[in-house]
Amino acid sequence: MGDHLPACVIDVGTGYTKLGFAGNKEPQFIIPSAIAIKETAKVGDQSTRRMTKAVEDLDFFIGDEAFDATGYSVKYPVRHGLVEDWDLMERYIEQCIFKYLRAEPEDHHFLLTEPPLNTPENREYLAEIMFESFNVPGLYIAVQAVLALAASWKSRTSAERTFTGIVVDSGDGVTHIVPVAEGYVIGSCIKHIPIAGRNITSFIQSLLREREVGIPPEQSLETAKAIKERYSYICPDIAKEFAKYDSDPGKWMKNYTGINSITKNPFAVDVGYERFLGPEIFFHPEFSNADFTVPLNEMVDDVIQSCPIDVRRGLYGNIVLSGGSTMFRDFGRRLQRDIKRTVDARLQLSTQLSEGRITPKPIDVQVITHNMQRYAVWFGGSMLASTPEFYQVCHTKQAYMEYGPSICRHNPVFGTMT
Amino acid sequence: MLNFQAYHSTLVDYTQSVGNLALLPIRTTYRGPAPLSPKIELDIIDEALNYFKANVFFRFYEIKSDSDRVLIYLTLYISECLKKLQKCSNKSQGQQEMYMLAISKFDIPGEQYLQQLRHETGNRVVEKVFATEDGKPSKWWLCFAKRKFMDKSLSGPGQ
Repeated sequence: MGDHLPACVIDVGTGYTKLGFAGNKEPQFIIPSAIAIKETAKVGDQSTRRMTKAVEDLDFFIGDEAFDATGYSVKYPVRHGLVEDWDLMERYIEQCIFKYLRAEPEDHHFLLTEPPLNTPENREYLAEIMFESFNVPGLYIAVQAVLALAASWKSRTSAERTFTGIVVDSGDGVTHIVPVAEGYVIGSCIKHIPIAGRNITSFIQSLLREREVGIPPEQSLETAKAIKERYSYICPDIAKEFAKYDSDPGKWMKNYTGINSITKNPFAVDVGYERFLGPEIFFHPEFSNADFTVPLNEMVDDVIQSCPIDVRRGLYGNIVLSGGSTMFRDFGRRLQRDIKRTVDARLQLSTQLSEGRITPKPIDVQVITHNMQRYAVWFGGSMLASTPEFYQVCHTKQAYMEYGPSICRHNPVFGTMT
Repeated sequence: MLNFQAYHSTLVDYTQSVGNLALLPIRTTYRGPAPLSPKIELDIIDEALNYFKANVFFRFYEIKSDSDRVLIYLTLYISECLKKLQKCSNKSQGQQEMYMLAISKFDIPGEQYLQQLRHETGNRVVEKVFATEDGKPSKWWLCFAKRKFMDKSLSGPGQ
């Protein structure tokens, strides 16, 4: 096994792509999942519009460069986690490998990620691109939620390392709650919440707008974002938190200084209640959203309750956080407390209804916080792709040539034994 | 889905209700139907003020007792106070506005009791809002003027 170069791990998300080599702790590159291409007049179908002459098919940019390129149209090959445009995806991966990782695809095995509920056909398309266009020696397609579970193993003892658990993945756009039993996603029970990083930012923005003067309007979004990232946390009880701030403002209120992008003069912002109110919308969505009012803890509980009864205990005991918007201090602790309350109340009710004849065994609720949370999916991939087992489960070029792309429909779960 | 975790009144030890509002003793000098008890440590107005900043964000509120109705009324009234105080530059102007607001006409049952509550609430709100070094109203209170508790407001639309 020692003669392998490290595998390449690429996690293409809706917003950002994380790419790097297996065995590392953090991705080498985090770039927007955007691609800028030259498109001719908007007539005809997609393929005629993109008819290319000689070098034009190399004339495109990905990542941050895509936004800087003038005279190009910016496209997102991935929508809602699923690849929508395979032609663009191929070009996107091309630059990921050659321009960013600067790797020879013939020399590295590849671990790519897919969202839960991805179609088997999509796996075939991906396999076709990887094996036929890039000629990779081996390919494994892993489910993002499963990688997030693996990432949490770092903080646990080897006995606790299971592939059963529930992943709460919150990035910028949406929060997903994905139950996984022994490495397989329980697809019918997945739920999505329209509350994530972007909503917290805009809630903080509205709080600042109601109070602070002096923030230039065109910088109000970035100011809110900076305040969110730097100062926000989750509190156990908002009424008590308000009282703390009012009785000792010096200790709790912070000061943020920004630079006006036009005049270059500094502006000062007092940072107060938004420190705890911002992320509070996970637990009280009604604060910012009139249409959606179910708190995160209730949603997680609902998901577990809708899962098969024999995995529920395992799911309650392994609630794993992933994504940047789960990084708020005490997020895990609060989620655990609130879920525990619901669960305990339910058990108590059943004791009561049975008039004391049934005493259910208490359910252990554990929310796992670890320090790889931000890029948990990528890190889980990096971890698994650096084990010798990875090379045994990878689909090889030989097998692909022999049997065709259908072999990539199934990617066996591995890693629990290590 | 019963527990929205908004804050409820703990003062549920009342004997009389006026139009489903609990008649609770208050620490005040304004005369009215409510018993005046100068020594009471935490009255319903204190509660409303303590919970105001947290409760004002809630859209749903489950009424658990007649005291909660008083709490709702006071929370909405505090919002009205803040709206008025936004336009005041100093404390005495603020006190005047609060007086005017308290005696303005609301046609609802239990009017006398509510007027007594309004007077005392207005007074305490002014004390809190103007508890600043420079004598200007505190932005840490005024920032809540635009929030609508339970998506409702005591003043009519457009006001």
